[in-house]
Amino acid sequence: MGGKHPDPSRRATGHGRRWFAVACCVMLAAPAAAQQPGGPVVKPWDAVLIASFNIQVFGESKMAKQHVVEVLARVVRKFDIVAIQEVRAKSDDIVPGFVQAVNADGSRYHYVVGPREGRTVSKEQYTFVYDTNRIEVDASSLGVCPNPANAIHRPPMHVRFRTRVTPADQAFTFWLVDIHTDPDEVPQELDALTGTFQAMQSLRPDEDDVILLGDLNAGPPEFGAFRRIPGVGWAVSGVTTNTRRSKTYDNIVFTRPATAEYLGMWGVLDLQNTFGLPLDTALEVSDHNPVWAAFHPCESRQPAATLAGQPPVVR
Amino acid sequence: MADDGNTAVSAAIGDLADPDPARRAAAAERLCQAGERARSASVDLVRACGDADESVREWAVAALEAIGPPPPTLVPGLAELATARSQLVAYWAITLLGRSGKDAATVLETLTQCVASTDLAVAQRAAWALGRIGPAAAAAVSALRDAASRGDERLTRLATESIAAIGA
Repeated sequence: MGGKHPDPSRRATGHGRRWFAVACCVMLAAPAAAQQPGGPVVKPWDAVLIASFNIQVFGESKMAKQHVVEVLARVVRKFDIVAIQEVRAKSDDIVPGFVQAVNADGSRYHYVVGPREGRTVSKEQYTFVYDTNRIEVDASSLGVCPNPANAIHRPPMHVRFRTRVTPADQAFTFWLVDIHTDPDEVPQELDALTGTFQAMQSLRPDEDDVILLGDLNAGPPEFGAFRRIPGVGWAVSGVTTNTRRSKTYDNIVFTRPATAEYLGMWGVLDLQNTFGLPLDTALEVSDHNPVWAAFHPCESRQPAATLAGQPPVVR
Repeated sequence: MADDGNTAVSAAIGDLADPDPARRAAAAERLCQAGERARSASVDLVRACGDADESVREWAVAALEAIGPPPPTLVPGLAELATARSQLVAYWAITLLGRSGKDAATVLETLTQCVASTDLAVAQRAAWALGRIGPAAAAAVSALRDAASRGDERLTRLATESIAAIGA
């Protein structure tokens, strides 16, 4: 199950590499992502892998299950950045403890975490976990998106990142906007997110790349007003993203031509297939599968690869 | 839980009342993993939102988020919890009543009472739930108008939308 490339360790071929040569005028080796014996995952040089993962009730009880934490850590190590939803704990130790588990193999991940959000006493936090070998964060950019009229239950968190695998003056920079919508008010929240997205597009004159990702509790047919954002498209289409393989909830949304760095590669990391888990165990990990998309590590002004919901670029 | 069906749900409901918080939390997690098949546990899960243990509450909330509308037979039991002192219990009881749509018309009086709650999250959810009932909630329009004038922007919007949905 999954998208064009259900496993991110399957490397870019054809389309992606050609685009890379045009955009950056530098041909880098593209080794297959692989796990070195006893060492961290080796990732490709010509793609940045960005994922979204709703880790259902990511709190103390989940962290107490070693087999679950190990699967979660293995998921994160496959990607350069993982936008996580549903950190639910009064303790501030959940995310640091998890990143420590991710780094147990020698990886060098770090995190940024947002404030607790929610209208009731039950709060959630967003967090981004990222590979410091390949990604750096603008610490001053961390914030919560404005929430006019209190329309969104858990206002999205935004952070600006930059790749580190290319020279700084060529590096792909981008906003990530992490969201978990309220399942009882999806149409209203998606309408509100339209404004959020467009506000992010104009937040910095030097940044045109806005990537909204998370658990939208909706598939593309229900995107409503979101579809009216000029140039908008989404990576995940035509597949299910929940662990039970029955619903499409999660996605990665951006616009073109702004985000020309999109390589046209995306997928759903099916927990059962990837880790050989029975459904019960996969559900212990989460009721969502991670979704991911690949982007070029160099900033580009080239048209993006075809996004779902958008016709192919004609040049 | 994935294949055991009703028996496993029933067992988990029983465990929600266990004196051991770890067993209660495990039961709430199992019901969460059961997804929509745990609908018969709607009232028990709402009650678990008032549990003293954080893990029990969080798993109960997660289960309720994914469970969908409750069986119509559980509407009276949910209505009893809609006025609970615990914000989380009241909020989720009202949410499930809202998901019940027209079936919640039988407990209109309770929801109308909730829209006047001093807890804004509860009042907002009650305003939303009344709109989900539709025209059968006509008797609540006056309370919704009062809510719309309380000065909270979100409550005003939800109450106004619900009045429109009721058709008044």
